[in-house]
Amino acid sequence: MSVTSYSERPATGTDESDAISVPWSRPARKRRAVSSRVVSAVTILVVLAAWALSARLQLVSPVFLPSPAAVWTKFIVVINDGFVDATLLQHIIASLGRVFAALLAAIVIGVPVGLAIGISTVGRGIFDPLLEFLRPIPPLAYLPLVIIWFGIGEPSKILVIAIAMLAPVALSTASGVRGVSRERINAARSLGATRAQVVRHVILPSALPSILTGLRIALGAGWSTLVAAELVAATRGLGFMIQSAAQFLVTDVVVMGILVIATIAFVLEFIIRRIERQLVPWAGRE
Amino acid sequence: MPHLVLDPHLILDKVSVHYDGQAAPAVERVSIDVAKGDFVVLVGRSGCGKTSLLNVAAGLVEPVRGNARIGGTPITDPGPDRAVVFQNDALFPWLTARENVAFALRLRGVPQAERARRADELLALVKLGGAGDKRIWELSGGMRQRGGLARALAAEPEFLLLDEPLGALDALTRERMQTTLLDLWTAAQVGVLMVTHGIEEALVLATRIVVLAPGPGRVVRTFETGFSRRYASGEPIRGIKADPAFAAARGELTDAIFEGEAA
Repeated sequence: MSVTSYSERPATGTDESDAISVPWSRPARKRRAVSSRVVSAVTILVVLAAWALSARLQLVSPVFLPSPAAVWTKFIVVINDGFVDATLLQHIIASLGRVFAALLAAIVIGVPVGLAIGISTVGRGIFDPLLEFLRPIPPLAYLPLVIIWFGIGEPSKILVIAIAMLAPVALSTASGVRGVSRERINAARSLGATRAQVVRHVILPSALPSILTGLRIALGAGWSTLVAAELVAATRGLGFMIQSAAQFLVTDVVVMGILVIATIAFVLEFIIRRIERQLVPWAGRE
Repeated sequence: MPHLVLDPHLILDKVSVHYDGQAAPAVERVSIDVAKGDFVVLVGRSGCGKTSLLNVAAGLVEPVRGNARIGGTPITDPGPDRAVVFQNDALFPWLTARENVAFALRLRGVPQAERARRADELLALVKLGGAGDKRIWELSGGMRQRGGLARALAAEPEFLLLDEPLGALDALTRERMQTTLLDLWTAAQVGVLMVTHGIEEALVLATRIVVLAPGPGRVVRTFETGFSRRYASGEPIRGIKADPAFAAARGELTDAIFEGEAA
Protein backbone atom coordinates (compact mmCIF):
# COMPACT_ATOMS: atom_id res chain seq x y z
CA MET A 1 0.00 0.00 0.00
CA SER A 2 1.21 3.49 -0.73
CA VAL A 3 1.52 6.18 1.91
CA THR A 4 -1.25 8.28 0.34
CA SER A 5 -3.88 5.66 0.93
CA TYR A 6 -2.90 5.67 4.60
CA SER A 7 -3.33 9.43 4.94
CA GLU A 8 -6.69 9.29 3.18
CA ARG A 9 -8.16 6.97 5.81
CA PRO A 10 -10.89 8.56 7.92
CA ALA A 11 -9.51 9.81 11.19
CA THR A 12 -12.36 8.54 13.36
CA GLY A 13 -12.29 4.76 13.04
CA THR A 14 -14.19 4.04 16.24
CA ASP A 15 -17.08 2.54 14.32
CA GLU A 16 -16.86 -1.24 14.39
CA SER A 17 -17.04 -1.67 10.62
CA ASP A 18 -14.31 0.91 10.08
CA ALA A 19 -12.02 -0.49 12.74
CA ILE A 20 -10.15 -2.66 10.28
CA SER A 21 -9.86 -0.78 7.04
CA VAL A 22 -7.08 -2.75 5.38
CA PRO A 23 -7.93 -3.23 1.72
CA TRP A 24 -8.26 -7.01 1.96
CA SER A 25 -10.77 -7.08 4.79
CA ARG A 26 -14.27 -7.37 3.41
CA PRO A 27 -17.25 -6.16 5.43
CA ALA A 28 -19.01 -8.99 7.21
CA ARG A 29 -21.87 -10.49 5.24
CA LYS A 30 -25.30 -10.00 6.71
CA ARG A 31 -26.57 -13.25 5.22
CA ARG A 32 -25.85 -16.20 7.49
CA ALA A 33 -23.61 -18.81 5.89
CA VAL A 34 -25.09 -22.29 5.50
CA SER A 35 -23.28 -24.75 7.75
CA SER A 36 -21.54 -27.65 6.06
CA ARG A 37 -23.49 -30.07 8.26
CA VAL A 38 -26.76 -28.93 6.71
CA VAL A 39 -25.27 -29.37 3.25
CA SER A 40 -24.11 -32.88 4.21
CA ALA A 41 -27.53 -33.82 5.56
CA VAL A 42 -29.22 -32.54 2.39
CA THR A 43 -26.74 -34.47 0.23
CA ILE A 44 -27.48 -37.71 2.06
CA LEU A 45 -31.23 -37.14 1.77
CA VAL A 46 -30.92 -36.43 -1.95
CA VAL A 47 -28.92 -39.63 -2.52
CA LEU A 48 -31.47 -41.66 -0.51
CA ALA A 49 -34.34 -40.07 -2.43
CA ALA A 50 -32.68 -40.79 -5.78
CA TRP A 51 -32.11 -44.37 -4.65
CA ALA A 52 -35.74 -44.80 -3.52
CA LEU A 53 -37.07 -43.17 -6.67
CA SER A 54 -35.03 -45.30 -9.07
CA ALA A 55 -36.15 -48.41 -7.21
CA ARG A 56 -39.79 -47.32 -7.23
CA LEU A 57 -39.72 -46.52 -10.95
CA GLN A 58 -37.98 -49.88 -11.55
CA LEU A 59 -35.21 -48.11 -13.49
CA VAL A 60 -32.90 -50.96 -12.58
CA SER A 61 -33.76 -54.52 -11.64
CA PRO A 62 -34.02 -55.17 -7.85
CA VAL A 63 -31.29 -57.79 -8.35
CA PHE A 64 -28.91 -54.93 -9.05
CA LEU A 65 -30.39 -52.28 -6.80
CA PRO A 66 -32.91 -53.28 -4.15
CA SER A 67 -35.12 -50.54 -2.73
CA PRO A 68 -34.24 -48.85 0.58
CA ALA A 69 -37.32 -50.43 2.10
CA ALA A 70 -36.16 -53.90 1.04
CA VAL A 71 -32.73 -53.29 2.54
CA TRP A 72 -34.31 -52.08 5.78
CA THR A 73 -36.58 -55.13 5.94
CA LYS A 74 -33.59 -57.37 5.36
CA PHE A 75 -31.72 -55.54 8.08
CA ILE A 76 -34.48 -56.40 10.57
CA VAL A 77 -34.69 -59.98 9.33
CA VAL A 78 -30.93 -60.57 9.61
CA ILE A 79 -30.90 -59.03 13.10
CA ASN A 80 -33.61 -61.45 14.22
CA ASP A 81 -33.16 -64.59 12.15
CA GLY A 82 -29.63 -64.20 10.86
CA PHE A 83 -28.01 -64.91 7.51
CA VAL A 84 -25.74 -67.87 6.72
CA ASP A 85 -26.17 -69.37 10.20
CA ALA A 86 -25.42 -66.27 12.25
CA THR A 87 -27.34 -63.20 13.32
CA LEU A 88 -26.14 -59.76 12.32
CA LEU A 89 -24.87 -59.16 15.84
CA GLN A 90 -22.79 -62.35 15.70
CA HIS A 91 -21.32 -61.25 12.35
CA ILE A 92 -20.52 -57.84 13.77
CA ILE A 93 -18.94 -59.31 16.90
CA ALA A 94 -16.80 -61.69 14.84
CA SER A 95 -15.55 -58.86 12.65
CA LEU A 96 -14.98 -56.42 15.51
CA GLY A 97 -13.14 -59.15 17.43
CA ARG A 98 -10.75 -59.70 14.54
CA VAL A 99 -10.17 -55.99 14.00
CA PHE A 100 -9.49 -55.31 17.67
CA ALA A 101 -7.22 -58.33 18.01
CA ALA A 102 -5.33 -57.00 15.00
CA LEU A 103 -5.25 -53.51 16.51
CA LEU A 104 -3.79 -54.92 19.70
CA ALA A 105 -1.09 -56.72 17.72
CA ALA A 106 -0.40 -53.57 15.69
CA ILE A 107 0.01 -51.55 18.89
CA VAL A 108 2.25 -54.12 20.55
CA ILE A 109 4.53 -54.24 17.50
CA GLY A 110 3.95 -50.84 15.89
CA VAL A 111 4.50 -48.53 18.87
CA PRO A 112 7.94 -49.96 19.81
CA VAL A 113 8.92 -49.99 16.11
CA GLY A 114 7.81 -46.37 15.80
CA LEU A 115 9.78 -45.49 18.93
CA ALA A 116 12.87 -47.16 17.48
CA ILE A 117 12.46 -45.26 14.20
CA GLY A 118 11.96 -41.97 16.00
CA ILE A 119 14.72 -42.35 18.57
CA SER A 120 17.63 -44.09 16.89
CA THR A 121 19.14 -43.79 13.44
CA VAL A 122 19.85 -47.53 13.47
CA GLY A 123 16.21 -48.27 14.22
CA ARG A 124 15.19 -45.94 11.47
CA GLY A 125 17.59 -47.62 9.07
CA ILE A 126 16.17 -51.03 9.87
CA PHE A 127 12.44 -50.40 9.99
CA ASP A 128 11.85 -47.52 7.60
CA PRO A 129 12.47 -49.49 4.36
CA LEU A 130 10.50 -52.49 5.67
CA LEU A 131 7.48 -50.34 6.45
CA GLU A 132 7.73 -48.45 3.19
CA PHE A 133 7.79 -51.81 1.42
CA LEU A 134 4.78 -53.11 3.33
CA ARG A 135 2.66 -49.99 3.26
CA PRO A 136 1.55 -49.79 -0.40
CA ILE A 137 0.81 -53.52 -0.85
CA PRO A 138 -2.94 -54.18 -1.04
CA PRO A 139 -4.20 -56.85 1.40
CA LEU A 140 -5.49 -59.05 -1.39
CA ALA A 141 -1.93 -59.29 -2.69
CA TYR A 142 -0.39 -60.68 0.48
CA LEU A 143 -3.44 -62.70 1.48
CA PRO A 144 -2.35 -65.82 -0.52
CA LEU A 145 1.08 -65.76 1.08
CA VAL A 146 -0.38 -65.41 4.57
CA ILE A 147 -2.62 -68.42 3.88
CA ILE A 148 0.30 -70.50 2.55
CA TRP A 149 2.35 -69.65 5.63
CA PHE A 150 -0.22 -69.62 8.39
CA GLY A 151 -3.15 -71.62 7.03
CA ILE A 152 -6.78 -70.63 6.86
CA GLY A 153 -7.47 -70.28 10.58
CA GLU A 154 -8.33 -67.26 12.65
CA PRO A 155 -4.67 -66.12 13.08
CA SER A 156 -4.34 -65.58 9.32
CA LYS A 157 -7.39 -63.34 9.22
CA ILE A 158 -6.13 -61.29 12.12
CA LEU A 159 -2.66 -61.11 10.57
CA VAL A 160 -4.01 -59.75 7.27
CA ILE A 161 -5.74 -56.93 9.14
CA ALA A 162 -2.77 -56.35 11.44
CA ILE A 163 -0.39 -55.95 8.50
CA ALA A 164 -2.61 -53.21 7.13
CA MET A 165 -2.60 -51.50 10.53
CA LEU A 166 1.09 -51.78 11.29
CA ALA A 167 2.41 -48.99 9.09
CA PRO A 168 -0.03 -46.28 10.23
CA VAL A 169 0.63 -47.09 13.89
CA ALA A 170 4.42 -47.23 13.54
CA LEU A 171 4.77 -44.20 11.28
CA SER A 172 2.48 -42.01 13.40
CA THR A 173 4.38 -43.04 16.52
CA ALA A 174 7.68 -42.22 14.80
CA SER A 175 6.50 -38.80 13.67
CA GLY A 176 5.19 -38.09 17.17
CA VAL A 177 8.53 -39.08 18.68
CA ARG A 178 10.45 -36.93 16.22
CA GLY A 179 8.19 -34.01 17.04
CA VAL A 180 8.96 -34.02 20.78
CA SER A 181 10.39 -30.65 21.72
CA ARG A 182 14.13 -30.72 22.28
CA GLU A 183 13.72 -28.40 25.24
CA ARG A 184 11.32 -30.77 26.96
CA ILE A 185 13.80 -33.61 26.67
CA ASN A 186 16.76 -31.48 27.72
CA ALA A 187 14.87 -30.12 30.71
CA ALA A 188 14.13 -33.66 31.89
CA ARG A 189 17.74 -34.70 31.36
CA SER A 190 18.98 -31.71 33.31
CA LEU A 191 16.73 -32.78 36.18
CA GLY A 192 18.63 -36.05 36.22
CA ALA A 193 16.39 -38.31 34.12
CA THR A 194 18.09 -41.33 32.61
CA ARG A 195 17.65 -42.23 28.95
CA ALA A 196 15.00 -44.83 29.83
CA GLN A 197 13.17 -42.35 32.05
CA VAL A 198 13.19 -39.77 29.26
CA VAL A 199 11.60 -42.31 26.90
CA ARG A 200 9.02 -43.45 29.44
CA HIS A 201 8.12 -40.12 31.03
CA VAL A 202 8.77 -37.56 28.29
CA ILE A 203 8.87 -39.04 24.80
CA LEU A 204 5.98 -41.50 25.06
CA PRO A 205 3.47 -39.09 26.63
CA SER A 206 4.57 -36.35 24.23
CA ALA A 207 3.97 -38.66 21.28
CA LEU A 208 0.63 -39.88 22.62
CA PRO A 209 -1.56 -37.49 20.56
CA SER A 210 0.23 -38.63 17.42
CA ILE A 211 -0.02 -42.30 18.44
CA LEU A 212 -3.76 -41.96 18.94
CA THR A 213 -4.11 -40.38 15.52
CA GLY A 214 -2.22 -43.37 14.17
CA LEU A 215 -4.64 -45.75 15.90
CA ARG A 216 -7.56 -43.92 14.35
CA ILE A 217 -6.06 -44.22 10.87
CA ALA A 218 -5.11 -47.85 11.54
CA LEU A 219 -8.62 -48.73 12.65
CA GLY A 220 -9.95 -47.29 9.41
CA ALA A 221 -7.37 -49.15 7.35
CA GLY A 222 -7.98 -52.43 9.21
CA TRP A 223 -11.73 -52.15 8.96
CA SER A 224 -11.48 -51.62 5.20
CA THR A 225 -9.43 -54.82 4.77
CA LEU A 226 -12.12 -56.79 6.58
CA VAL A 227 -13.70 -58.24 3.46
CA ALA A 228 -10.34 -59.41 2.16
CA ALA A 229 -9.47 -60.99 5.50
CA GLU A 230 -12.76 -62.87 5.63
CA LEU A 231 -12.47 -64.11 2.04
CA VAL A 232 -11.20 -67.52 3.04
CA ALA A 233 -12.76 -70.09 5.31
CA ALA A 234 -14.67 -67.73 7.55
CA THR A 235 -18.01 -68.80 8.96
CA ARG A 236 -18.88 -65.48 10.50
CA GLY A 237 -18.16 -61.81 9.98
CA LEU A 238 -19.53 -58.89 8.01
CA GLY A 239 -17.11 -59.44 5.12
CA PHE A 240 -18.03 -63.12 4.99
CA MET A 241 -21.72 -62.22 5.09
CA ILE A 242 -21.39 -59.87 2.12
CA GLN A 243 -19.45 -62.41 0.08
CA SER A 244 -21.91 -65.21 0.77
CA ALA A 245 -24.78 -62.93 -0.14
CA ALA A 246 -23.03 -61.92 -3.36
CA GLN A 247 -22.61 -65.57 -4.37
CA PHE A 248 -26.37 -66.13 -4.07
CA LEU A 249 -27.13 -62.72 -5.61
CA VAL A 250 -28.90 -61.59 -2.42
CA THR A 251 -28.16 -57.98 -3.24
CA ASP A 252 -30.19 -56.49 -0.39
CA VAL A 253 -27.93 -58.23 2.13
CA VAL A 254 -24.86 -56.98 0.25
CA VAL A 255 -26.08 -53.39 0.37
CA MET A 256 -27.16 -53.77 3.99
CA GLY A 257 -23.73 -55.19 4.88
CA ILE A 258 -21.97 -52.29 3.20
CA LEU A 259 -24.10 -49.80 5.12
CA VAL A 260 -23.44 -51.62 8.41
CA ILE A 261 -19.69 -51.59 7.76
CA ALA A 262 -19.80 -47.88 6.96
CA THR A 263 -21.89 -47.10 10.03
CA ILE A 264 -19.58 -49.03 12.34
CA ALA A 265 -16.54 -47.29 10.85
CA PHE A 266 -18.23 -43.96 11.52
CA VAL A 267 -19.05 -44.90 15.11
CA LEU A 268 -15.49 -46.17 15.76
CA GLU A 269 -14.05 -42.91 14.43
CA PHE A 270 -16.40 -40.97 16.69
CA ILE A 271 -15.46 -43.05 19.75
CA ILE A 272 -11.72 -42.67 19.14
CA ARG A 273 -12.08 -38.93 18.77
CA ARG A 274 -13.86 -38.85 22.13
CA ILE A 275 -11.08 -40.93 23.66
CA GLU A 276 -8.50 -38.57 22.18
CA ARG A 277 -10.20 -35.59 23.77
CA GLN A 278 -10.32 -37.41 27.11
CA LEU A 279 -6.79 -38.74 27.03
CA VAL A 280 -4.82 -35.89 25.48
CA PRO A 281 -6.77 -32.71 26.25
CA TRP A 282 -3.59 -30.67 25.82
CA ALA A 283 -3.15 -31.57 22.13
CA GLY A 284 -3.36 -28.38 20.10
CA ARG A 285 -3.49 -26.23 23.21
CA GLU A 286 0.18 -25.95 24.11
CA MET B 1 41.58 -28.07 47.34
CA PRO B 2 38.76 -28.96 49.71
CA HIS B 3 37.14 -25.52 49.68
CA LEU B 4 36.26 -26.07 46.02
CA VAL B 5 34.09 -29.00 47.01
CA LEU B 6 32.34 -27.05 49.73
CA ASP B 7 31.80 -24.03 47.52
CA PRO B 8 31.93 -25.31 43.97
CA HIS B 9 32.42 -23.03 41.03
CA LEU B 10 30.90 -23.59 37.62
CA ILE B 11 33.77 -22.95 35.28
CA LEU B 12 33.93 -22.71 31.51
CA ASP B 13 37.62 -22.90 30.68
CA LYS B 14 38.69 -21.62 27.25
CA VAL B 15 35.68 -23.27 25.71
CA SER B 16 35.33 -23.51 21.92
CA VAL B 17 32.19 -24.84 20.30
CA HIS B 18 32.13 -25.86 16.66
CA TYR B 19 28.98 -27.44 15.26
CA ASP B 20 29.26 -30.12 12.57
CA GLY B 21 28.85 -28.80 9.07
CA GLN B 22 29.50 -25.17 9.98
CA ALA B 23 32.44 -23.27 8.57
CA ALA B 24 33.18 -21.08 11.60
CA PRO B 25 33.18 -22.03 15.26
CA ALA B 26 30.15 -20.78 17.20
CA VAL B 27 32.28 -19.96 20.26
CA GLU B 28 36.03 -19.51 20.55
CA ARG B 29 38.03 -19.68 23.75
CA VAL B 30 35.51 -18.29 26.19
CA SER B 31 36.14 -18.56 29.91
CA ILE B 32 33.50 -17.87 32.51
CA ASP B 33 33.58 -18.51 36.25
CA VAL B 34 30.34 -18.66 38.19
CA ALA B 35 30.55 -18.97 41.97
CA LYS B 36 27.63 -19.91 44.16
CA GLY B 37 25.77 -16.69 44.87
CA ASP B 38 26.83 -15.14 41.55
CA PHE B 39 24.29 -14.07 38.99
CA VAL B 40 26.15 -14.07 35.69
CA VAL B 41 24.28 -12.83 32.64
CA LEU B 42 25.41 -13.42 29.07
CA VAL B 43 24.34 -10.76 26.58
CA GLY B 44 25.21 -10.09 22.98
CA ARG B 45 23.87 -9.89 19.48
CA SER B 46 22.37 -12.91 17.72
CA GLY B 47 24.91 -15.56 16.85
CA CYS B 48 27.36 -14.68 19.59
CA GLY B 49 27.11 -18.14 21.10
CA LYS B 50 25.27 -17.30 24.34
CA THR B 51 23.05 -20.33 24.21
CA SER B 52 25.92 -22.58 23.08
CA LEU B 53 27.86 -21.60 26.20
CA LEU B 54 24.86 -22.27 28.41
CA ASN B 55 24.42 -25.67 26.77
CA VAL B 56 28.07 -26.49 27.41
CA ALA B 57 27.53 -25.68 31.08
CA ALA B 58 24.38 -27.81 31.03
CA GLY B 59 26.26 -30.73 29.50
CA LEU B 60 24.05 -30.72 26.42
CA VAL B 61 26.79 -29.59 24.02
CA GLU B 62 30.34 -30.86 24.05
CA PRO B 63 33.06 -28.27 23.43
CA VAL B 64 35.66 -29.06 20.76
CA ARG B 65 38.37 -27.46 22.89
CA GLY B 66 38.52 -26.38 26.48
CA ASN B 67 36.21 -27.82 29.09
CA ALA B 68 33.49 -27.12 31.58
CA ARG B 69 33.90 -28.12 35.21
CA ILE B 70 31.82 -27.99 38.32
CA GLY B 71 33.67 -28.15 41.61
CA GLY B 72 36.69 -29.42 39.65
CA THR B 73 34.78 -32.31 38.05
CA PRO B 74 34.47 -32.17 34.26
CA ILE B 75 30.94 -31.76 32.93
CA THR B 76 30.07 -34.49 30.44
CA ASP B 77 26.33 -34.94 30.88
CA PRO B 78 23.34 -32.97 32.09
CA GLY B 79 22.79 -33.30 35.82
CA PRO B 80 20.50 -32.09 38.56
CA ASP B 81 23.30 -29.99 40.06
CA ARG B 82 22.74 -27.66 37.07
CA ALA B 83 19.00 -27.43 36.42
CA VAL B 84 18.04 -25.69 33.19
CA VAL B 85 15.02 -23.48 32.54
CA PHE B 86 14.28 -22.74 28.89
CA GLN B 87 12.49 -19.92 27.13
CA ASN B 88 9.55 -22.02 26.09
CA ASP B 89 8.44 -23.82 29.15
CA ALA B 90 9.45 -27.43 29.01
CA LEU B 91 6.81 -28.50 31.51
CA PHE B 92 4.77 -31.60 30.76
CA PRO B 93 1.23 -30.76 29.65
CA TRP B 94 -0.11 -34.18 30.70
CA LEU B 95 0.70 -33.43 34.34
CA THR B 96 -0.58 -30.78 36.73
CA ALA B 97 1.74 -28.08 38.01
CA ARG B 98 2.21 -30.05 41.25
CA GLU B 99 2.92 -33.30 39.40
CA ASN B 100 5.51 -31.55 37.24
CA VAL B 101 7.41 -30.46 40.31
CA ALA B 102 6.90 -33.86 41.92
CA PHE B 103 8.45 -35.46 38.83
CA ALA B 104 11.72 -33.67 39.55
CA LEU B 105 11.50 -34.71 43.22
CA ARG B 106 10.93 -38.30 42.17
CA LEU B 107 14.04 -38.26 39.97
CA ARG B 108 15.96 -37.07 43.01
CA GLY B 109 14.65 -40.00 45.02
CA VAL B 110 12.33 -38.10 47.36
CA PRO B 111 9.90 -40.64 48.86
CA GLN B 112 6.41 -40.51 47.41
CA ALA B 113 4.77 -39.50 50.68
CA GLU B 114 6.81 -36.32 50.83
CA ARG B 115 6.58 -35.29 47.20
CA ALA B 116 3.20 -33.54 47.17
CA ARG B 117 3.98 -31.52 50.28
CA ARG B 118 7.43 -30.53 49.05
CA ALA B 119 6.02 -29.68 45.59
CA ASP B 120 3.45 -27.38 47.17
CA GLU B 121 6.19 -25.64 49.14
CA LEU B 122 8.14 -25.02 45.96
CA LEU B 123 5.06 -23.79 44.11
CA ALA B 124 4.36 -21.41 46.97
CA LEU B 125 7.97 -20.21 46.78
CA VAL B 126 7.48 -19.16 43.14
CA LYS B 127 4.08 -17.61 44.06
CA LEU B 128 2.13 -20.35 42.31
CA GLY B 129 0.66 -21.72 45.52
CA GLY B 130 -2.97 -21.92 44.41
CA ALA B 131 -2.27 -23.43 41.01
CA GLY B 132 -1.01 -26.88 42.01
CA ASP B 133 -3.97 -28.71 40.53
CA LYS B 134 -3.98 -26.77 37.29
CA ARG B 135 -2.90 -28.37 34.04
CA ILE B 136 -0.03 -26.64 32.32
CA TRP B 137 -2.13 -25.46 29.42
CA GLU B 138 -4.44 -23.71 31.84
CA LEU B 139 -1.58 -21.48 33.03
CA SER B 140 -0.47 -18.16 31.57
CA GLY B 141 3.03 -17.74 30.12
CA GLY B 142 4.35 -16.15 33.29
CA MET B 143 2.82 -18.85 35.49
CA ARG B 144 4.39 -21.53 33.32
CA GLN B 145 7.83 -20.01 33.77
CA ARG B 146 7.21 -19.90 37.51
CA GLY B 147 6.33 -23.59 37.31
CA GLY B 148 9.50 -24.25 35.35
CA LEU B 149 11.53 -22.50 38.04
CA ALA B 150 9.82 -24.48 40.79
CA ARG B 151 10.59 -27.72 38.98
CA ALA B 152 14.22 -26.71 38.45
CA LEU B 153 14.55 -25.83 42.14
CA ALA B 154 13.06 -29.20 43.05
CA ALA B 155 16.28 -30.76 41.76
CA GLU B 156 18.07 -28.80 44.51
CA PRO B 157 20.65 -27.55 42.05
CA GLU B 158 23.86 -25.74 42.92
CA PHE B 159 23.45 -23.71 39.77
CA LEU B 160 20.49 -22.56 37.73
CA LEU B 161 21.01 -22.25 33.99
CA LEU B 162 18.43 -19.94 32.47
CA ASP B 163 18.09 -19.77 28.69
CA GLU B 164 16.09 -16.59 28.03
CA PRO B 165 13.52 -17.68 30.60
CA LEU B 166 11.56 -14.44 30.28
CA GLY B 167 12.00 -14.07 26.54
CA ALA B 168 8.49 -15.14 25.57
CA LEU B 169 6.68 -13.04 28.18
CA ASP B 170 4.98 -9.67 27.75
CA ALA B 171 6.80 -6.62 29.10
CA LEU B 172 4.78 -6.27 32.30
CA THR B 173 4.94 -9.94 33.26
CA ARG B 174 8.63 -9.87 32.47
CA GLU B 175 9.21 -6.99 34.87
CA ARG B 176 7.45 -8.84 37.67
CA MET B 177 9.31 -12.08 36.92
CA GLN B 178 12.64 -10.28 37.21
CA THR B 179 12.08 -9.59 40.88
CA THR B 180 10.81 -13.15 41.34
CA LEU B 181 14.07 -14.41 39.86
CA LEU B 182 16.06 -12.23 42.25
CA ASP B 183 13.98 -13.40 45.22
CA LEU B 184 14.57 -17.03 44.28
CA TRP B 185 18.26 -16.48 43.70
CA THR B 186 18.56 -15.00 47.17
CA ALA B 187 16.38 -17.63 48.84
CA ALA B 188 17.84 -20.70 47.13
CA GLN B 189 21.48 -19.66 47.51
CA VAL B 190 22.34 -20.82 44.01
CA GLY B 191 24.67 -19.53 41.34
CA VAL B 192 22.90 -18.44 38.18
CA LEU B 193 24.11 -18.41 34.59
CA MET B 194 21.55 -16.74 32.37
CA VAL B 195 21.20 -15.79 28.73
CA THR B 196 19.08 -12.80 27.79
CA HIS B 197 18.42 -10.29 25.03
CA GLY B 198 17.25 -7.65 27.45
CA ILE B 199 19.78 -4.96 28.31
CA GLU B 200 17.78 -3.60 31.24
CA GLU B 201 17.04 -7.14 32.36
CA ALA B 202 20.76 -7.90 32.46
CA LEU B 203 21.42 -4.83 34.59
CA VAL B 204 18.60 -5.57 37.01
CA LEU B 205 19.54 -9.20 37.53
CA ALA B 206 23.28 -9.57 37.19
CA THR B 207 26.16 -9.40 39.56
CA ARG B 208 28.32 -9.77 36.49
CA ILE B 209 27.47 -9.18 32.83
CA VAL B 210 29.51 -10.89 30.15
CA VAL B 211 29.18 -9.17 26.77
CA LEU B 212 29.77 -11.47 23.81
CA ALA B 213 30.26 -10.62 20.16
CA PRO B 214 29.56 -12.88 17.21
CA GLY B 215 31.73 -14.35 14.47
CA PRO B 216 33.09 -16.38 16.28
CA GLY B 217 31.45 -15.95 19.69
CA ARG B 218 33.91 -14.34 22.10
CA VAL B 219 33.94 -12.18 25.21
CA VAL B 220 34.36 -8.48 24.46
CA ARG B 221 33.75 -7.04 27.93
CA THR B 222 32.80 -7.99 31.42
CA PHE B 223 30.92 -5.69 33.78
CA GLU B 224 30.65 -6.13 37.52
CA THR B 225 27.31 -4.66 38.53
CA GLY B 226 25.70 -4.11 41.90
CA PHE B 227 22.05 -3.37 41.19
CA SER B 228 20.78 -6.87 41.98
CA ARG B 229 22.62 -6.91 45.30
CA ARG B 230 21.04 -3.57 46.13
CA TYR B 231 17.62 -5.14 45.49
CA ALA B 232 18.58 -8.15 47.57
CA SER B 233 19.48 -5.88 50.48
CA GLY B 234 16.04 -4.32 50.44
CA GLU B 235 16.10 -1.37 48.03
CA PRO B 236 12.94 -1.11 45.89
CA ILE B 237 13.44 -2.05 42.25
CA ARG B 238 11.89 1.14 40.88
CA GLY B 239 14.24 3.27 42.91
CA ILE B 240 17.19 1.33 41.53
CA LYS B 241 16.01 1.75 37.96
CA ALA B 242 15.50 5.48 38.51
CA ASP B 243 19.07 5.88 39.78
CA PRO B 244 21.19 7.91 37.31
CA ALA B 245 23.89 5.27 37.76
CA PHE B 246 21.48 2.72 36.28
CA ALA B 247 20.94 4.86 33.18
CA ALA B 248 24.69 5.38 32.83
CA ALA B 249 25.40 1.66 33.12
CA ARG B 250 22.69 1.00 30.58
CA GLY B 251 24.34 3.36 28.08
CA GLU B 252 27.73 1.80 28.66
CA LEU B 253 26.39 -1.73 28.28
CA THR B 254 24.51 -0.84 25.09
CA ASP B 255 27.70 0.66 23.64
CA ALA B 256 29.64 -2.48 24.52
CA ILE B 257 27.06 -4.74 22.86
CA PHE B 258 26.95 -2.77 19.62
CA GLU B 259 30.64 -1.91 19.60
CA GLY B 260 32.15 -2.21 16.15
CA GLU B 261 28.75 -2.24 14.54
CA ALA B 262 27.55 0.71 12.42
CA ALA B 263 25.03 2.65 14.51
